Formats: sequence, C-alpha cells, structure tokens
Amino acid sequence: MLFDRIETFFSIIMGIATDPMSIAILFGSVVLGIIFGAMPGLTSTLGVALLTALTYGMDTAMAMICLLAIYVGGTYGGSYAAILINIPGTAAAAATALDGYPLACRGEGGRAIGLTTTASAIGTAISMIFVVSISPIISHFALQFTSFEFFLLAFFGILISGTLTSPDLVIKGWIAGFLGLFLACVGRDLLQFYPRFTFGYSQLDSGVEVVPVLIGAFGIPQIIQVLKDRFQIGETQKLQRIIPEIGTVVRNIPAIIRSALIGVGIGAVPGIGEDIAGWVSYGTAKNTSKHPETFGKGELQGVLASETANNACVGGAQIPLLNLGIPGSPPAAMLLGALMLHGVTPGPMITFEHPTFIMEVAAILLLASCAMWVAGMLLAKQVVKVLRIPTQIFMPIIGMLCIIGSYSLGLNIFNLYLMLPVGIIAYFLTEMGYPIAPLVIGVILGPMADENLRRALMVSQGSFMPVFTRPVALLLFLIIVWTVLSQFQFYKNLKANVLANIFRKKQSPGA
Amino acid sequence: MMDKQNLRKADIFSGTVISLFGLWIVSQALKMPMKDSWGGVQNVWYVSPALFPLFVGAMIALLGALLTRTALKSVGILELGRTLTWLWSSDLVRFLGTPTVIRFYAMAVLFSGFVFLNIPRIDFFLCSVLFLVVFISMFHFDDDSLLIKLLLFYLAGTVITFVFFVLEFPKLLEGHITYAGDWLTLAFILAYCMYAWVLIRPTPVMRRKYRTSLILAVIAPFLIGPIFKYLLLVPMPTEGLVVTLMDAIRYWDF
Repeated sequence: MLFDRIETFFSIIMGIATDPMSIAILFGSVVLGIIFGAMPGLTSTLGVALLTALTYGMDTAMAMICLLAIYVGGTYGGSYAAILINIPGTAAAAATALDGYPLACRGEGGRAIGLTTTASAIGTAISMIFVVSISPIISHFALQFTSFEFFLLAFFGILISGTLTSPDLVIKGWIAGFLGLFLACVGRDLLQFYPRFTFGYSQLDSGVEVVPVLIGAFGIPQIIQVLKDRFQIGETQKLQRIIPEIGTVVRNIPAIIRSALIGVGIGAVPGIGEDIAGWVSYGTAKNTSKHPETFGKGELQGVLASETANNACVGGAQIPLLNLGIPGSPPAAMLLGALMLHGVTPGPMITFEHPTFIMEVAAILLLASCAMWVAGMLLAKQVVKVLRIPTQIFMPIIGMLCIIGSYSLGLNIFNLYLMLPVGIIAYFLTEMGYPIAPLVIGVILGPMADENLRRALMVSQGSFMPVFTRPVALLLFLIIVWTVLSQFQFYKNLKANVLANIFRKKQSPGA
Repeated sequence: MMDKQNLRKADIFSGTVISLFGLWIVSQALKMPMKDSWGGVQNVWYVSPALFPLFVGAMIALLGALLTRTALKSVGILELGRTLTWLWSSDLVRFLGTPTVIRFYAMAVLFSGFVFLNIPRIDFFLCSVLFLVVFISMFHFDDDSLLIKLLLFYLAGTVITFVFFVLEFPKLLEGHITYAGDWLTLAFILAYCMYAWVLIRPTPVMRRKYRTSLILAVIAPFLIGPIFKYLLLVPMPTEGLVVTLMDAIRYWDF
C-alpha cells in the first residue's frame, strides 16, 4: 500500500516534469506569483483569484499546477519587498522585514534573499510531506463524521478564523463570519428549493457565486486602500549576488524543522493565513535564541524562521482543504472555489472520487518549491525591477482584471453587480477593523453548515442529543464553547480566581 | 484601519447597523415556511429553510448588540454625544471634502460607471480603455486639484452616456449609425484625453505621466482582452465596434 502510494507519487512527478507544457505553466505561474508577492499591494490571494479565471479552460491537473504554483510563488515573493524596501509585499512577509531590511542596509540583501529562497523552498517541501502523510489519517477519521460533526466543524472553522484573524475586537471576526454565512443563505435552499433572500432575481436562485465574491472581497478593498492612502514604494536597497546560503541552512536544520512544523500546524487551522505562521515562528525563534537581542538587527535566524513557516503554511492549508473541504487560509479559500469550478469537491470522499488527487497536490507542491528555488536564484534581480513600477499604474489594471475575471467565471454580468458592492462593503469593513478572511470562509462553509445542520436534525428527529453522545461532536462542541467563552472577561476572571485558589491550596499545606 | 479611539466610535454605529441587519434577516426568515406545507411537502421545524437564516440572523443581531455595548462602555455617553454633534456639524462636510475621501469617491464613481453603465452597453475594449485612461491618469498625476477637475469631467461624460442610453438613442439611431454607443464612448475618450492634455501641458513631468497613462490604458485591454476572447474563448460582455474589427482581422473576414 505504502509502496503503491510512493510509486504513484513519483509517477505523477515524472509525468509533470516530462511534460513541457506543465513545466512552462509551473515556471510561468511561480514567476507570476513572485511578482504578485513582491509588489506591495498585491497578494497571493489576489493572484490565485485572478488566475482562477484563466484556468477555466484548462483540465483540473493543469489548473492545480497553475494555482498552487502562484500560491507558493506569491507567499515567497513577499520577502523581496520586505528585505529591499522594508515594506512586506504580502502580510506573510511582515516578520521577514524585521531582520531582512537591516541585512539589506548592511549590504547583505543578496544573502538575505538567497536565504529566504532556500528556506521557503524547504518549508514548502516539508509541508508537502505532511500533506501526503497526514491526509489519509484525517480522511479516514473524517469518514466517521456524521452531519452533526460536519456542521460543528464548519461552525468551528468560522469561529476560529474570526478569533485569530481579527485585527481589532474578536467579536468583529465573528460578525464577519456570520455575514459570510448570511451571503451563503442567498438562493434556493438545498433541501426544499425554497428561494431565500433572492428578491425575485432569478440570477440569485443558484446562490451567490463564490469566486466573484472572493475577488470582490479581496481585490477591491486592496485597490481602494492603496490608491486612497497614496501608497508609495520607497527607495530600494541594492541587491548584490544571490547566494543560496546552503551552509547557513544546514547549520539551522532544527530551527527550520521547528518553523516548518509551526507553519504546517497553523496552516492546518481553518482560515488562518501565512502571516500568523510567520509571526509565531519568528516569535518562537526569538524566544528560544541564545541571543534574542540580535533579532530585529539583521539576524539570519529571524529571516529563516519567518520564511520557512509562511511557506510551510501553504502545504498545511491544503490538509483541511482537501480532507474536510475547509480552507486553511484565504488563498486556500480561493483554491477551493477554483476546485469547485473544475468539478472537484474536496472532503473525506476525495480519496474515493479522485484517488490520486492528494498525491497530485503534493507532487505539485514539491515541483513548485523546486521551480521557486530556481526562479528565485536566477530571476531575483529581474523581478526586483517590478518594485519600481508605481502602484497608481498597476492597481487600475488589477481592477480591470478583477472585473473581467469575475465575469468570465460563468459569463454572467450579474457576477459583476455582485462583486462590486461586496468589494465596497468589504472595504468599509476592513477600515472598521473587521477581518475579511472569516467572511470569505463563511461564504464557502455556509452551504455545508446549513445542509448538515438540517440533515443531522432530520436523522435525529429534531433532537440535539447526538452532539453530547458522539465523542467527536462533543469535543468540537466543547472547543467551540471554550473558544467563545475564553474571549469574555467573566471567563478570564473566573479562570484567574480558580487558578489562584488552586495555587493557594497547594501552598498552604507546606506553609 | 482607523485608530483605536475612532474605531470604538465607529463600532457604536456599525454594531447598531449590523444588529438591525440581523433583525431584518430574522424578520425575513420568519416569512419562510416553518411548519406549513411547501411544494406539497409538510414541513417540520428542523427541515425548514428558515432554520439556518434564523440562526444566522439571531447571531448577527446578538453580536452587533454586543459590539455596540462594548463600544459604548469604552467610549462613554459623553463622547458619543460629542460624536453625534460632530455628525450634524460642518466638520462632517469638511471631512467629506478631504482629498483622501475625494480619492475614494473617484474610485467608487469609476468602478460603478464601468460595471453598471458601460460594461453592459459598450464594447468591452472601448469601455476598458476609457476606464483605464481615466483611472491611471487621475491617480498617476498625483495632484488633488487635477483629480477633482478630471473627476468632474468624467462625471459629466458619464451623465451624458447615461442619458444617451436612458433615452434609447442607440435604437433611434439604429438605421443611421451602427454602434452609436461605442462611437460616443470613443468621442468621450478623445475628449477626456484632450482635456487632460490641456490641463497638464505646461508641466514636463506631467506630460511624461500622461504619455505613460495613455500607452498603458490602450495596451492593457488589448493584451488581456484577446487572451480571454480568443485563447479562453470567453465572449466579451458586450461585443461592438472593436470586437467586430478584431474578429474581422482574426478571421480575415474582409
């Protein structure tokens, strides 16, 4: 069985590596991803969103090569701007800027980019191992799930995403998630085909199209923010010869593995992106370092930790996406939309419906990491030139791409009527401190939550008892309750009181 | 994102609006069949299409109310009163006229005009060129007074285009001019370019920016459009003057 899987894996790799078209698309998408990541204001999520429209005519395997490659390249590309101009190209590279920019100021920009390239490639490759090894276990486990578990899982995904991505109050993240769930309610319901919130528009009968909503929610606010606030790219530091820094990487193998594990773990939590992985890994590296005072002043370990983790997050995000149908990060949410367009429904049944699909994803991740390393080493100096393009020039073009992209998925002008208002509302929400990721996750997981809640109640004849009698459902329910309660002050006070009492009791016998 | 103090003030309003929105969802969900029959099927409450929207609406209303309460506790009634006074004062009007807000209006007008007015009625390539030439030049010039002048010019052109289509001129002119809307847009693009040129002509830096804007506004649609139209076989939202010309070139259909 294991050998069969290994054989399949390598035959897929060989299949892709020997097909010139696949290789051209792989390299093209990685380079495009790096450009998207490098340009401050553009993100890998937007890159995946815009490229989804172009993959519509491709077969699923080719589309996955294209989208995963741009995702991997985009996550890595953010480090260019972070290192050379101290502005992270993407949020994922924010932690990289802390040590990357001081390195560039010292004339070691080439060294820093070489290190991020190698670390990112290793991070992606390690995450690929987890995709292959953990997926069958999760998939097997998820097959035991009933509708109650799926409802609770979807609900947990929205709550945890809201909790961890909110830049302000946690409650705002939850509100964003529920607004996404509301958008998912629009259209005829899946059990009785009753029209909900359609207001007589037949175009809304099939519900809101996910991809235009995602493009609107991620693309339009980005364009408005960058141009409204007159975002200017600063002076670029000089880039010297790019060095792969293999020696530094070998010396830091334990730190790399730790960062990759953090990245995979955070990626596997629904809705949390590469930025959090980068920060957590950076913080851990700093806390465990013998010389924490060197962090922030051009410490190579800081760059290594953040870049390994954010790229490992790419693979981590695929684990819940492929096995449970729950996206692990915002770009993974876009990938889910793209997969649905191509007729692939991720979830526990994926191993039966598309037996080699997870292997294909793992193989693409490995090849994308190799392509990223090669492109990073050879083309970094050329790619850096894009940092000189003023944002006022490329943002309107991105706006046009958002529009043609939303239209082309379904050839429906109504998609545009939906995309633009969603984009403008998303902009106001962002300005007021509401995160967008939970909204998007809500739109995606809404149908799953709705259908499974009612199906579960149908089976139990309206009883909620299975939540308390089924171990996984109970565990999920308790986690949800804890996630909610832990945000309230009374819970924090209660916890502090209980801990103080226990501590006092432990001390008193000896006193 | 705003600073914390202003965020809390905004939270009072956003929380209230969200709470009311949640209540509206609940009210709409209550109109859905709960236990009565729908499509010949006798419902029970737990398969009702209202169940999930009721849950979502109730949660939105509750969380919105909680947000308002938290924000009110943080800001205090006195500060809320001051904010409400500000909302009725001339300061609000002054705020709405700040360059940052005007930049937002410009983008909102451009996107709305492109999506709601031009794309469904005008040849995709022409309306894209118009969108890009206005968008890139407005922001690339990086001058607030110029932006306002160009925005007003664009607004005037958009109003004319709107009236042109509302009064159904394309139908009236059908026998005399084909693609009347497209010709009007072409004239609009030329007029805009001339107006912008008149405004920026004295400054060499602006002239360079003008050239860049114009070149990119023309090149981008003609690079991206054919990929969708001829490679991905995506028909354009509206195919008119330029698409017909491109089809003729592509298929040598002279």
